[in-house]
Amino acid sequence: MKSIKLITSTLSLVLVTSFYSFSQNPKEISKKSADAIALGSMEMTTTLKIMDAKGSTRSRTLNMASRKFGSVTKMMMKFTDPADVKGTSILIYDYDDRADEMWIYMPALKKTRRVVSNEKGKNFMGSEFTNADMSKPNIEDFNYKIISSENINGKACHVIEAVPVSDESMQSNGFSKKVSYIDKENFLCYKIEYYDLKGKLLKTQIIGDYRSVEGGSFFYYEMEMKNEQNGRRSLLKTDNFKAQSQISEAQFSPSNLDK
Amino acid sequence: MKKIVIAALFMVVSFNINGQDSFKDKAEFSGYVRGSFQGFSKNYDLSNVFAQFALKGKYTGKNTIFNAEVWFLGGHHFGEFYNRLEIMEAYAGYVSDKFDFIAGNQIVKWGRTDGFSPTDNISPRDYFFLTSDMDDQLRANLMARVKYRINNSVDIDLIAIPFYKQSNYRFDLFDMGGMASFGEETNPEFKFSNATLAGRLNFELPGAGFSFSYFRGYDPYHGFNLKGIELDFNAPNPMPLIKYSSTPYRKQSIGADFAIPAGSWIIRGEAAWNITKGGSDSLYIPLPSLAYVVALERDFGGVMGIFQYIGRYTPSFEPVFEPQPAGTDPDQVLIYMSQMVDYQTRMFNRKIFGQQKRSNHAFALTARKSFAYDTITAELTTCYNITSREFLLRPKVSWTIADNLSLAAGGHIMTGEKESLYDYSGPVMNGLFIELKASF
Repeated sequence: MKSIKLITSTLSLVLVTSFYSFSQNPKEISKKSADAIALGSMEMTTTLKIMDAKGSTRSRTLNMASRKFGSVTKMMMKFTDPADVKGTSILIYDYDDRADEMWIYMPALKKTRRVVSNEKGKNFMGSEFTNADMSKPNIEDFNYKIISSENINGKACHVIEAVPVSDESMQSNGFSKKVSYIDKENFLCYKIEYYDLKGKLLKTQIIGDYRSVEGGSFFYYEMEMKNEQNGRRSLLKTDNFKAQSQISEAQFSPSNLDK
Repeated sequence: MKKIVIAALFMVVSFNINGQDSFKDKAEFSGYVRGSFQGFSKNYDLSNVFAQFALKGKYTGKNTIFNAEVWFLGGHHFGEFYNRLEIMEAYAGYVSDKFDFIAGNQIVKWGRTDGFSPTDNISPRDYFFLTSDMDDQLRANLMARVKYRINNSVDIDLIAIPFYKQSNYRFDLFDMGGMASFGEETNPEFKFSNATLAGRLNFELPGAGFSFSYFRGYDPYHGFNLKGIELDFNAPNPMPLIKYSSTPYRKQSIGADFAIPAGSWIIRGEAAWNITKGGSDSLYIPLPSLAYVVALERDFGGVMGIFQYIGRYTPSFEPVFEPQPAGTDPDQVLIYMSQMVDYQTRMFNRKIFGQQKRSNHAFALTARKSFAYDTITAELTTCYNITSREFLLRPKVSWTIADNLSLAAGGHIMTGEKESLYDYSGPVMNGLFIELKASF
């Protein structure tokens, strides 16, 4: 009888632990966090400020739009300021199951160029943000681990470590790991720490001013990236946001990029 | 005339300011002011020095587009002072998701490779407008253009150009032995049968982009025809003066291009089969040929590298041999002189057309790296023509001093065997440049 009780207790413990582990699956949490942001279909105007350690600031303004068509999310960016980059347009096709595709139109060049899109770790327009920060993260690119819980601005957060699955992915992303602070309740991410290829803290990203948008998801109106090694900061501030873009698929085609 | 255009421009600007509400987020006015200096060539201390004010206006409505760019230029160009106004682009049209119809002065660039593009025959270039950016050499043509998008991946581009416009290359500046004189342009008569027609079927598919194109008309990259020989018998040592005229030729070009990403590489290519008639008889017409370019592009640890192989195959190529004097009596000397002039002219045109041998080969390498968070960019382009043994080197550094202010400095170095094109052009076009540009 004692044995039966012991077995039953052990079994119950295993089941509870398994259930708890399932609900605390770090990959699942990271996916929910990515899905909580309305990046799939939107239109926005955003200002990018790039500040060096001495405080001098450069600024860029761009219009962005994205929309999902079938299995591909198409994103378009058009720079409107300053004058030397005005008219430059970037089009990205973000596929779920294959490498992304990217085109760039530069007014001086007078033609649209297809370019390699696998440089996720490359600086975005000379800022501390990378190209990867401009789109939804690919969940399958990382292995996840919950390392602790912490309070950020009074919100209980999972602290999740994500390590690139391969050397190639590590080189492409430009960091060895990232640690994300994700709200346990609504899965919004408030902070991400990026570590360089030698394992030293490289950058800290603070994401804030979340506002709920049409369709039940959220969007961040402010995102700051600080380089902890050289003191540079970049701030991405959303001036206008509209969820559920109605821009036609034709507008997201490379042949329309020059308009 | 200039005053009228300037007044019209100010009226357009005023109209924008007053009508900003109705044009909000659709009308854009921008431009730049630039001071540019190029000098230190063998023949010119100051080869190309100018100040420029460029004004651009663009409106994009639901179904309407117009775009204009006007340049005001003043400076010193290869020994001559000038002040001029150029309408670079001025076009208007109907646009929609499916269909665009645009008419006016437009610059069109076709092809998927960079710098060497066999399918790009539409817009002429001013090869002697030397700045930090080679794309400043592009010039517009008056044309009607229709673009029809069959679906989101396939479109057709059709172009009709009623009036021919030559590219500008100033051989009159070169020292070619003192016997050659380059002057007038010979242009085709303004009539419909001399118009240029071109079409391109373009595909942007997942994993690859490619197109097929057709061009029929006069090539902006013209040849030089022999207009006459003058002999001054009153001179102490009479020497013939050979007069050349810039003369375009008609061609058909059937082309194709592609760009295929493969991991961290991108492979680009272009080929064009150029069909010409009369190349064996007329000195200024090239022989039919296949021009092709294959390019590999990759980022090597922050350095963008583009490697290109540029080739041309001329199946009907026949070598020409230097004539020899048959005797010393005056008739024989005159015949020899005439044969020699023909020979020199043909050889000269073959150099221009890259038809010095049946197969011509060249390699180009461009390396580009940005520093200091994209505020400084260093770029080096080199090109070596194996067939003609000519070498080009173009280093450039550009620095974005502030959001609207940039500085570029660099040089052009061209060198080649005696009597090669680069041997002629080097003493004129080689040199250093520095350029300051403020955009608004």
